[in-house]
Amino acid sequence: MLDHEKVLKTATKIRLEDIEAKRVLSYKYKPNLRYAWDNGVALGRYLTELKNGRIIGKRCNSCKRVLVPPRLFCELCWRPTDEWEYVKDTGTILTFVVSHVNWDASRVKPGQRYHTPAVIELDGAGKDQGILHLIDEIEPYDIKIGMRVQAVWRPPEERIGAITDIKYFRVIGG
Amino acid sequence: MALVERLQETTQVGYWCGEIPLEYIYTYGRAGEAFYRTLIEKEKILGAYCPQCDAVFVPASIFCERCFERIEGNYRELDPVGTVETFTVLYKNLDGTLKERPEVIAMVRIKGAVGGLLHYLREVDPKDVNIGMEVKAVFKPKDQREGGLKDISHFKPL
Repeated sequence: MLDHEKVLKTATKIRLEDIEAKRVLSYKYKPNLRYAWDNGVALGRYLTELKNGRIIGKRCNSCKRVLVPPRLFCELCWRPTDEWEYVKDTGTILTFVVSHVNWDASRVKPGQRYHTPAVIELDGAGKDQGILHLIDEIEPYDIKIGMRVQAVWRPPEERIGAITDIKYFRVIGG
Repeated sequence: MALVERLQETTQVGYWCGEIPLEYIYTYGRAGEAFYRTLIEKEKILGAYCPQCDAVFVPASIFCERCFERIEGNYRELDPVGTVETFTVLYKNLDGTLKERPEVIAMVRIKGAVGGLLHYLREVDPKDVNIGMEVKAVFKPKDQREGGLKDISHFKPL
Protein backbone atom coordinates (compact mmCIF):
# COMPACT_ATOMS: atom_id res chain seq x y z
CA MET A 1 0.00 0.00 0.00
CA LEU A 2 1.13 3.56 -0.66
CA ASP A 3 2.43 5.32 2.40
CA HIS A 4 0.83 8.73 2.29
CA GLU A 5 3.63 10.34 4.33
CA LYS A 6 6.30 8.94 2.00
CA VAL A 7 4.45 10.19 -1.04
CA LEU A 8 4.22 13.65 0.49
CA LYS A 9 7.98 13.70 1.08
CA THR A 10 8.70 13.14 -2.61
CA ALA A 11 6.17 15.69 -3.80
CA THR A 12 7.42 19.15 -4.71
CA LYS A 13 5.84 21.73 -2.49
CA ILE A 14 5.04 24.43 -4.98
CA ARG A 15 2.12 26.71 -4.34
CA LEU A 16 0.34 28.87 -6.90
CA GLU A 17 1.71 31.98 -5.15
CA ASP A 18 5.25 30.77 -5.82
CA ILE A 19 4.48 30.53 -9.52
CA GLU A 20 2.67 33.86 -9.70
CA ALA A 21 5.52 35.65 -7.87
CA LYS A 22 7.95 34.01 -10.34
CA ARG A 23 9.87 32.32 -7.52
CA VAL A 24 9.33 29.21 -9.59
CA LEU A 25 9.58 29.43 -13.37
CA SER A 26 6.73 28.02 -15.36
CA TYR A 27 5.09 27.85 -18.71
CA LYS A 28 1.43 28.77 -19.05
CA TYR A 29 -0.57 27.58 -22.01
CA LYS A 30 -4.15 27.78 -23.14
CA PRO A 31 -4.81 25.70 -26.23
CA ASN A 32 -7.39 26.98 -28.69
CA LEU A 33 -10.09 24.33 -28.38
CA ARG A 34 -12.96 25.99 -30.19
CA TYR A 35 -15.03 23.67 -32.33
CA ALA A 36 -18.08 23.62 -34.56
CA TRP A 37 -20.09 20.44 -34.59
CA ASP A 38 -22.43 19.53 -37.44
CA ASN A 39 -25.89 18.80 -36.02
CA GLY A 40 -26.88 16.46 -38.79
CA VAL A 41 -30.42 15.56 -39.82
CA ALA A 42 -31.82 14.09 -36.63
CA LEU A 43 -30.35 16.35 -33.96
CA GLY A 44 -30.80 19.32 -36.26
CA ARG A 45 -34.55 18.77 -36.30
CA TYR A 46 -34.57 18.05 -32.54
CA LEU A 47 -32.95 21.42 -31.82
CA THR A 48 -35.21 23.25 -34.28
CA GLU A 49 -38.27 21.74 -32.60
CA LEU A 50 -36.97 22.75 -29.17
CA LYS A 51 -36.99 26.32 -30.43
CA ASN A 52 -40.68 25.80 -31.26
CA GLY A 53 -41.27 24.49 -27.74
CA ARG A 54 -41.71 20.86 -28.74
CA ILE A 55 -39.70 17.72 -28.20
CA ILE A 56 -39.43 15.34 -31.12
CA GLY A 57 -38.23 11.76 -31.29
CA LYS A 58 -37.97 9.13 -33.97
CA ARG A 59 -39.71 5.78 -33.91
CA CYS A 60 -38.10 2.47 -34.74
CA ASN A 61 -40.81 0.16 -36.06
CA SER A 62 -38.73 -2.88 -35.29
CA CYS A 63 -38.18 -2.47 -31.56
CA LYS A 64 -41.18 -0.10 -31.18
CA ARG A 65 -39.11 2.45 -29.28
CA VAL A 66 -39.29 6.19 -29.80
CA LEU A 67 -35.70 7.41 -29.68
CA VAL A 68 -35.26 10.70 -27.84
CA PRO A 69 -33.10 12.56 -28.83
CA PRO A 70 -33.91 11.32 -32.35
CA ARG A 71 -31.37 9.27 -34.27
CA LEU A 72 -31.50 8.20 -37.89
CA PHE A 73 -30.23 4.77 -36.97
CA CYS A 74 -31.47 2.33 -34.34
CA GLU A 75 -28.50 1.07 -32.40
CA LEU A 76 -30.37 -2.03 -31.22
CA CYS A 77 -31.99 -3.16 -34.49
CA TRP A 78 -29.12 -1.96 -36.68
CA ARG A 79 -31.49 -0.37 -39.18
CA PRO A 80 -32.68 3.13 -40.14
CA THR A 81 -35.43 4.52 -37.95
CA ASP A 82 -38.90 5.38 -39.25
CA GLU A 83 -41.48 8.07 -38.35
CA TRP A 84 -40.88 11.33 -36.56
CA GLU A 85 -42.99 11.54 -33.43
CA TYR A 86 -43.56 14.31 -30.89
CA VAL A 87 -43.24 13.31 -27.26
CA LYS A 88 -44.66 15.14 -24.24
CA ASP A 89 -42.64 17.56 -22.14
CA THR A 90 -43.62 15.63 -19.02
CA GLY A 91 -41.77 12.61 -17.74
CA THR A 92 -40.36 10.56 -14.90
CA ILE A 93 -37.04 10.81 -13.08
CA LEU A 94 -35.01 7.69 -13.85
CA THR A 95 -31.98 8.71 -11.84
CA PHE A 96 -30.49 11.91 -10.46
CA VAL A 97 -27.58 13.26 -8.50
CA VAL A 98 -27.12 16.02 -5.94
CA SER A 99 -23.81 17.64 -6.80
CA HIS A 100 -21.92 19.76 -4.27
CA VAL A 101 -19.38 20.58 -6.96
CA ASN A 102 -19.65 23.21 -9.70
CA TRP A 103 -18.71 22.74 -13.35
CA ASP A 104 -15.25 24.17 -12.73
CA ALA A 105 -14.72 21.65 -9.90
CA SER A 106 -15.07 24.34 -7.20
CA ARG A 107 -17.30 23.67 -4.21
CA VAL A 108 -20.86 24.94 -4.15
CA LYS A 109 -20.81 27.98 -1.85
CA PRO A 110 -23.02 28.25 1.24
CA GLY A 111 -26.43 29.57 0.23
CA GLN A 112 -26.03 28.42 -3.36
CA ARG A 113 -28.32 25.61 -4.48
CA TYR A 114 -26.73 22.22 -5.10
CA HIS A 115 -26.81 21.15 -8.74
CA THR A 116 -29.37 18.45 -9.43
CA PRO A 117 -29.01 16.94 -12.88
CA ALA A 118 -31.29 14.02 -13.64
CA VAL A 119 -32.04 11.51 -16.36
CA ILE A 120 -35.68 11.99 -17.36
CA GLU A 121 -37.80 9.49 -19.28
CA LEU A 122 -40.23 11.59 -21.29
CA ASP A 123 -43.84 10.47 -21.73
CA GLY A 124 -44.11 8.92 -25.16
CA ALA A 125 -40.45 7.99 -25.39
CA GLY A 126 -39.35 4.39 -25.29
CA LYS A 127 -38.77 2.79 -21.92
CA ASP A 128 -35.49 3.69 -20.22
CA GLN A 129 -34.82 6.32 -22.87
CA GLY A 130 -33.66 9.26 -20.84
CA ILE A 131 -32.52 12.77 -21.56
CA LEU A 132 -30.20 14.55 -19.19
CA HIS A 133 -31.48 17.79 -17.72
CA LEU A 134 -31.72 19.77 -14.50
CA ILE A 135 -34.36 19.58 -11.78
CA ASP A 136 -35.32 22.74 -9.91
CA GLU A 137 -38.04 24.28 -7.70
CA ILE A 138 -37.51 21.51 -5.14
CA GLU A 139 -35.13 20.95 -2.23
CA PRO A 140 -32.28 18.86 -3.70
CA TYR A 141 -32.55 16.10 -1.10
CA ASP A 142 -36.34 15.85 -1.52
CA ILE A 143 -35.93 14.52 -5.07
CA LYS A 144 -36.84 10.87 -5.49
CA ILE A 145 -36.48 8.43 -8.35
CA GLY A 146 -39.87 7.99 -10.08
CA MET A 147 -41.08 11.54 -9.45
CA ARG A 148 -43.17 13.10 -12.21
CA VAL A 149 -41.66 16.20 -13.79
CA GLN A 150 -42.52 18.77 -16.45
CA ALA A 151 -40.29 21.00 -18.57
CA VAL A 152 -40.13 24.70 -17.75
CA TRP A 153 -39.49 26.43 -21.07
CA ARG A 154 -37.84 29.71 -21.78
CA PRO A 155 -40.12 32.31 -23.35
CA PRO A 156 -40.23 31.82 -27.16
CA GLU A 157 -38.19 34.96 -27.89
CA GLU A 158 -35.32 33.69 -25.72
CA ARG A 159 -35.08 30.27 -27.37
CA ILE A 160 -32.10 29.63 -29.60
CA GLY A 161 -32.57 26.00 -30.60
CA ALA A 162 -30.64 24.37 -27.80
CA ILE A 163 -31.41 21.97 -24.96
CA THR A 164 -31.18 25.00 -22.66
CA ASP A 165 -34.39 26.28 -24.28
CA ILE A 166 -35.82 24.14 -21.49
CA LYS A 167 -34.64 25.93 -18.35
CA TYR A 168 -35.17 22.94 -16.08
CA PHE A 169 -37.75 20.37 -15.09
CA ARG A 170 -40.05 20.93 -12.11
CA VAL A 171 -41.80 18.28 -10.08
CA ILE A 172 -45.54 17.95 -10.72
CA GLY A 173 -48.09 16.05 -8.64
CA GLY A 174 -49.51 12.67 -9.56
CA MET B 1 -29.39 -0.17 -46.23
CA ALA B 2 -28.89 3.51 -46.89
CA LEU B 3 -30.20 6.25 -44.69
CA VAL B 4 -33.05 7.79 -46.65
CA GLU B 5 -33.31 11.18 -45.00
CA ARG B 6 -30.93 13.87 -46.09
CA LEU B 7 -30.76 17.59 -45.82
CA GLN B 8 -31.98 19.02 -49.13
CA GLU B 9 -31.09 22.68 -48.59
CA THR B 10 -27.87 24.20 -47.36
CA THR B 11 -30.01 26.50 -45.18
CA GLN B 12 -31.06 23.42 -43.18
CA VAL B 13 -27.51 22.77 -42.10
CA GLY B 14 -27.17 23.51 -38.43
CA TYR B 15 -24.11 23.48 -36.29
CA TRP B 16 -23.18 23.87 -32.70
CA CYS B 17 -20.22 26.01 -31.65
CA GLY B 18 -18.39 25.39 -28.43
CA GLU B 19 -15.13 25.82 -26.65
CA ILE B 20 -13.35 23.45 -24.32
CA PRO B 21 -11.93 25.60 -21.53
CA LEU B 22 -8.54 24.19 -20.76
CA GLU B 23 -5.34 25.81 -19.58
CA TYR B 24 -2.35 24.64 -17.69
CA ILE B 25 0.76 25.77 -15.90
CA TYR B 26 3.82 23.60 -16.36
CA THR B 27 6.67 23.91 -13.91
CA TYR B 28 10.02 22.76 -15.23
CA GLY B 29 11.15 20.60 -12.37
CA ARG B 30 14.46 20.86 -10.53
CA ALA B 31 16.83 20.54 -13.49
CA GLY B 32 14.54 22.54 -15.76
CA GLU B 33 14.44 25.34 -13.22
CA ALA B 34 18.26 25.42 -13.13
CA PHE B 35 18.39 25.29 -16.93
CA TYR B 36 16.19 28.37 -17.37
CA ARG B 37 17.75 30.30 -14.48
CA THR B 38 21.13 29.84 -16.19
CA LEU B 39 19.64 30.91 -19.50
CA ILE B 40 18.22 34.08 -17.97
CA GLU B 41 21.15 35.06 -15.79
CA LYS B 42 24.22 33.90 -17.72
CA GLU B 43 23.13 33.36 -21.34
CA LYS B 44 24.53 29.83 -21.09
CA ILE B 45 23.02 26.46 -21.94
CA LEU B 46 22.93 24.16 -18.93
CA GLY B 47 23.74 20.50 -19.48
CA ALA B 48 24.14 17.67 -17.00
CA TYR B 49 27.26 15.50 -17.02
CA CYS B 50 27.14 11.76 -16.45
CA PRO B 51 30.56 10.40 -15.40
CA GLN B 52 29.60 6.81 -16.27
CA CYS B 53 28.61 7.67 -19.83
CA ASP B 54 31.10 10.53 -20.10
CA ALA B 55 28.54 12.70 -21.82
CA VAL B 56 26.83 16.01 -21.20
CA PHE B 57 23.10 15.97 -21.80
CA VAL B 58 21.19 19.04 -22.92
CA PRO B 59 18.82 20.19 -21.57
CA ALA B 60 19.96 19.39 -18.02
CA SER B 61 18.16 16.59 -16.24
CA ILE B 62 18.47 14.97 -12.83
CA PHE B 63 18.87 11.46 -14.22
CA CYS B 64 21.09 10.18 -17.00
CA GLU B 65 18.88 9.19 -19.91
CA ARG B 66 21.21 6.33 -20.82
CA CYS B 67 22.19 4.63 -17.56
CA PHE B 68 19.64 6.19 -15.18
CA GLU B 69 22.43 7.33 -12.88
CA ARG B 70 21.45 10.24 -10.67
CA ILE B 71 23.32 13.25 -12.07
CA GLU B 72 21.55 16.13 -10.38
CA GLY B 73 24.04 18.93 -9.69
CA ASN B 74 26.69 17.73 -12.16
CA TYR B 75 25.82 20.70 -14.26
CA ARG B 76 27.97 22.14 -17.03
CA GLU B 77 27.44 25.60 -18.44
CA LEU B 78 27.88 25.45 -22.19
CA ASP B 79 28.28 28.26 -24.70
CA PRO B 80 25.11 28.88 -26.69
CA VAL B 81 26.64 27.70 -29.93
CA GLY B 82 26.11 24.53 -31.90
CA THR B 83 25.54 22.92 -35.26
CA VAL B 84 22.38 22.30 -37.24
CA GLU B 85 21.55 18.61 -36.77
CA THR B 86 18.46 18.78 -38.93
CA PHE B 87 16.02 21.44 -40.05
CA THR B 88 12.73 22.07 -41.80
CA VAL B 89 11.25 25.05 -43.63
CA LEU B 90 7.75 26.12 -42.67
CA TYR B 91 5.49 27.81 -45.18
CA LYS B 92 2.26 27.70 -43.18
CA ASN B 93 1.05 28.82 -39.78
CA LEU B 94 -0.56 26.46 -37.28
CA ASP B 95 -4.03 27.39 -38.58
CA GLY B 96 -3.07 26.52 -42.14
CA THR B 97 -2.73 30.07 -43.46
CA LEU B 98 0.34 30.95 -45.49
CA LYS B 99 3.26 32.62 -43.76
CA GLU B 100 4.43 35.92 -45.17
CA ARG B 101 7.88 34.47 -45.52
CA PRO B 102 9.14 30.94 -44.89
CA GLU B 103 10.49 30.16 -41.45
CA VAL B 104 13.28 27.72 -40.63
CA ILE B 105 13.10 25.46 -37.59
CA ALA B 106 16.30 23.69 -36.70
CA MET B 107 17.42 21.06 -34.24
CA VAL B 108 20.59 22.61 -32.88
CA ARG B 109 23.12 20.26 -31.34
CA ILE B 110 24.84 22.23 -28.61
CA LYS B 111 28.62 22.11 -28.85
CA GLY B 112 30.09 19.58 -26.44
CA ALA B 113 26.77 17.97 -25.59
CA VAL B 114 24.48 15.12 -26.44
CA GLY B 115 21.11 16.45 -27.50
CA GLY B 116 20.15 19.96 -28.29
CA LEU B 117 17.41 22.49 -28.71
CA LEU B 118 14.67 22.91 -31.26
CA HIS B 119 14.48 26.54 -32.28
CA TYR B 120 13.96 29.13 -35.00
CA LEU B 121 16.85 29.80 -37.34
CA ARG B 122 16.81 33.36 -38.62
CA GLU B 123 19.00 35.99 -40.26
CA VAL B 124 19.67 33.48 -43.02
CA ASP B 125 18.03 32.64 -46.33
CA PRO B 126 16.26 29.24 -46.05
CA LYS B 127 18.06 28.20 -49.24
CA ASP B 128 21.43 28.69 -47.54
CA VAL B 129 20.70 26.49 -44.52
CA ASN B 130 22.51 23.18 -44.44
CA ILE B 131 23.09 20.37 -42.00
CA GLY B 132 26.29 20.89 -40.05
CA MET B 133 26.01 24.68 -40.23
CA GLU B 134 27.45 26.44 -37.19
CA VAL B 135 24.96 28.63 -35.37
CA LYS B 136 24.71 30.69 -32.19
CA ALA B 137 21.83 31.76 -30.00
CA VAL B 138 20.50 35.32 -30.02
CA PHE B 139 19.06 36.19 -26.62
CA LYS B 140 16.23 38.51 -25.81
CA PRO B 141 17.10 41.56 -23.69
CA LYS B 142 17.49 40.44 -20.09
CA ASP B 143 14.44 42.32 -18.78
CA GLN B 144 12.22 40.49 -21.27
CA ARG B 145 13.31 36.99 -20.27
CA GLU B 146 10.69 35.14 -18.29
CA GLY B 147 11.87 31.56 -18.14
CA GLY B 148 11.12 29.76 -21.37
CA LEU B 149 12.83 28.64 -24.51
CA LYS B 150 11.67 31.89 -26.11
CA ASP B 151 14.15 33.74 -23.90
CA ILE B 152 16.37 32.76 -26.79
CA SER B 153 14.94 34.86 -29.59
CA HIS B 154 16.38 32.63 -32.29
CA PHE B 155 19.58 31.07 -33.60
CA LYS B 156 21.65 32.63 -36.36
CA PRO B 157 24.68 31.52 -38.36
CA LEU B 158 28.03 32.11 -36.67
